[in-house]
Amino acid sequence: MEILELKDIQGIIIRGYSNLPAAAFLLLRISDPTLAKKWLHVVSPEITSGEERKPELALNIALTFNAMAALGLNKQVLDTFPLEFEDGMITKHKQLFLGDFGESAPDNWEWGGKNTDEVHILLMLYATDAGALQNLQDKHIAQLGRYGLSEVTKLDTSVLYERKEHFGFQDGISQPTIKGLSRQDEPENMVSTGEFILGYKNEYNQYTPTPTAGDKDAAECLPPSKAKLGKYDLGKNGSYMVFRQLKQDVELFWNYMQKSTQKENGESDAKEMVKLAAKMVGRWPGGAPVIVCPDEEIKDHNNDNKFDYRSVDELGLRCPFASHIRRSHPRDALDMDRLASMKVANKHRILRRGRSYGQPVTEEMKPQDILQVKDIQGERGLHFICFNADLGRQFEFIQNAWVNNPKFNGLHDERDPIIGNHHYPSDHKTTGTFTIPDKTLRKRFTDVPEFVTVKGGAYFFMPGIRALKYLSCL
Amino acid sequence: MTKHGALSVLAHIKPGMKQDAIALCEQIVAEDVETNSIIPFKKITSIHFARFVVFNESTDALGNNVAPYLIFTTNYDQPYKNHLEELVTVAGDGLWKMFSFCEDFPENIAYNREALRRYLELKTVENAVFYVGIGHRTVLQVRQENELRDQIESFIDSQQSALRDKGPVYIRKKVIEFVHNNPTLSWAKKRAPKPFILSELGFYIKLAFVCIALVVLLPLIIPFVIAWLFLILLTEITEKNVSYELDKNHIRELVERETSPVQAQFSAMGNIKPGVIRLKTMMFLLNMTNFLAPYIYSKGKLSGIPTVHFARWVIVNDGKQMIFLSNFDGNSESYLRDFINIAGKQLSLMFCHTVGYPKTRLMIYGGADDANGFMNWARKFQTITNVWYTANKEVSVKNIFNNSKIRDGLYGSMNEKEAAHWLSLL
Ligand code: HEM
Repeated sequence: MEILELKDIQGIIIRGYSNLPAAAFLLLRISDPTLAKKWLHVVSPEITSGEERKPELALNIALTFNAMAALGLNKQVLDTFPLEFEDGMITKHKQLFLGDFGESAPDNWEWGGKNTDEVHILLMLYATDAGALQNLQDKHIAQLGRYGLSEVTKLDTSVLYERKEHFGFQDGISQPTIKGLSRQDEPENMVSTGEFILGYKNEYNQYTPTPTAGDKDAAECLPPSKAKLGKYDLGKNGSYMVFRQLKQDVELFWNYMQKSTQKENGESDAKEMVKLAAKMVGRWPGGAPVIVCPDEEIKDHNNDNKFDYRSVDELGLRCPFASHIRRSHPRDALDMDRLASMKVANKHRILRRGRSYGQPVTEEMKPQDILQVKDIQGERGLHFICFNADLGRQFEFIQNAWVNNPKFNGLHDERDPIIGNHHYPSDHKTTGTFTIPDKTLRKRFTDVPEFVTVKGGAYFFMPGIRALKYLSCL
Repeated sequence: MTKHGALSVLAHIKPGMKQDAIALCEQIVAEDVETNSIIPFKKITSIHFARFVVFNESTDALGNNVAPYLIFTTNYDQPYKNHLEELVTVAGDGLWKMFSFCEDFPENIAYNREALRRYLELKTVENAVFYVGIGHRTVLQVRQENELRDQIESFIDSQQSALRDKGPVYIRKKVIEFVHNNPTLSWAKKRAPKPFILSELGFYIKLAFVCIALVVLLPLIIPFVIAWLFLILLTEITEKNVSYELDKNHIRELVERETSPVQAQFSAMGNIKPGVIRLKTMMFLLNMTNFLAPYIYSKGKLSGIPTVHFARWVIVNDGKQMIFLSNFDGNSESYLRDFINIAGKQLSLMFCHTVGYPKTRLMIYGGADDANGFMNWARKFQTITNVWYTANKEVSVKNIFNNSKIRDGLYGSMNEKEAAHWLSLL
């Protein structure tokens, strides 16, 4: 069994800091590399490591590819980073691969996009309450200028009722458990450390490709690479982080559910409305999976996370093939035997660490209440954050081969009803299709709008703490 | 019932003409693959998939230089004669122009239909393996059955409230009525042609014969196989492991061309490892695969991979090089991962004879288990497909099978249970 070097791994990779509900993300640009390196040096002692179980404050740092180039990492070393990381999210190919079209196109992004300031560093700050966060934030913002950094934007977060997301659904229930940690879980849900953290064995029993350096400083700061003899592992204890700011249109969401399920006499059908939304997500608002409770929410099952799809529901009668969770983590649903499917699915997992932002439409986000509110103001959504060791095989694969693949699961023309994009240049229409299989006749919705819009995003590398020191000494 | 064919026309490009060939390919793409004036693919109704690939000059495993190749391939509906006729009739000028960059092409004469036909036949090479994932359907049938499904779905959408509380048999009856009353679907009143019993029978008699022969000869074969495997193992141990670093720009060039939302293609050429053992083993395995493919890889799955429409292996240059071409659902990134995750052993068996494949033991162990090594190898030998055409670009292999099942359900009578099952296809 591999021992995790928790002391060197940044804390947010190991845990979601659920005890620190207040959080803010600062996106920074390097204007003076020499000073910026000093800054890295100065803040590095404050970085929260994976060893700290319940910190009172937390700080973590991640860098874009361009940040490392700006800091002066030489081309040879930069070249050892994977293509997906180097190219980022906004090349033409990536736009197609990730499905960022229409309103979600990188031309319209507010940060990280085609027409916005370059982002280099992400400073993640967490605290127990708003006051403590304010102090932490003020302190850091005050010293940016001195260290050759400027603020591109600050992304605030909000804590929602019972830790739901803005549509009113419990989030963060299903996560892979990292094998190297001493947490216990069902064997199917234990995933090799190397799927999330570089420098450890992955699900292929190999070392995921990792950036390496060969210079003298590297020899001093970094551990020898296990995959490349004679080199030093810059990736060790690091991870790639995906950050996408996803705006959620809550009004559109519940209006759509209401309109699509109203009775013939025009009355709305509260039960059917929630059921349609639940079939799209794959879980009821409280969290109970629809594969377990297909007809109504049962509280006892809210935290259920051990279930099969294909073995119990080959026709999708309980959980539709197109639903968000059946496609973002298909478990046994792939077209092969159960164990093989689980194994393959586990080669495409992500650790989600996102936080919501913006004020909820109503305190408890109950659909009936939301529908009562006239003239909903402000923006709200999810700062989607996830970690993985291989962007191409994990996040990008999920997004491309599953979420936005109209043919996934044997479907004909259906993308993810919650986060799918329906503005591909080849699309015949700009709404999605969603089918709920039934014992006699399927129900099909062909006018599903996009409830979620990408507002910004970037790939970051969150180095191990030693690697960060190495970068600060370049 | 239709049988499919795989035409492969392969010729060396004349010295100095590679850029011209590439430029002509680029013109086809720039004008639009389907409707361009050079080779208007859409008008060639017998083609499922087609491509032109220019393979760069290379060096074989013994260090000999190999001139660049041009390959033109189609996956077509038989009979071959009609396909060739259609090619020459619809795209004669364009093919003439394209192959005039190649060796042995008739010099100094104007377009001549017969000369073109002769040239295409002269340069046609045999495929070592031809895999078909979409059964016996013609281009037209695939398209029509997809339209049928779309129309039935829309019909049901429009009748949702009228049909909601009705039983499966009633709903099915309404669907059949709709199809029968729809002039654009008049072809669907008849069943799709089924494979002839006799040719099916012939298939299985052949298989049975081979199996019996195997059993009878087993005592003789076993020692031979053991000795052979020993030789293979020895070869594997003594061969040097070659590993590749990825050239990011090469990958960028490849993936940027994958813009089709449903299907994609893969073209690769690699060197076969030197030595008679490698060559004989590989040829035996390829021949076996080609023979067994219709039996074991039926129902649209290539070694368990449910996304391949057509694939072929071609051995060229006197057994020194291998060309692999395929048409599949998704994109090359997910396709290659499917390979590793689902069919690693089978693919190692077929590909471990090429230089640079991750080291194997007994041809199936190791190999694709080295996921990083496999990806690097595959990308290294993957080449740009200069022109790629697909006739039914909106359907996946699974869709094709499902559409046919929907059509099949329009005929005969069904009880409530059967009708419900049929309705679940929608
Ligand atoms: C605003 C956008 C999104 C919303 C509202 C949303 C909502 C949800 C909800 C309610 C769940 C069920 C709770 C759970 O199982 O933990 C879930 C699960 C999940 N989501 Fe999302 N999600 C969003 C974006 C994304 C994106 C962009 C991805 C990745 C491409 C993603 C991947 C996943 C995965 C992998 C799961 C766990 C599935 C499982 O293991 O069963 N989500 N999401």
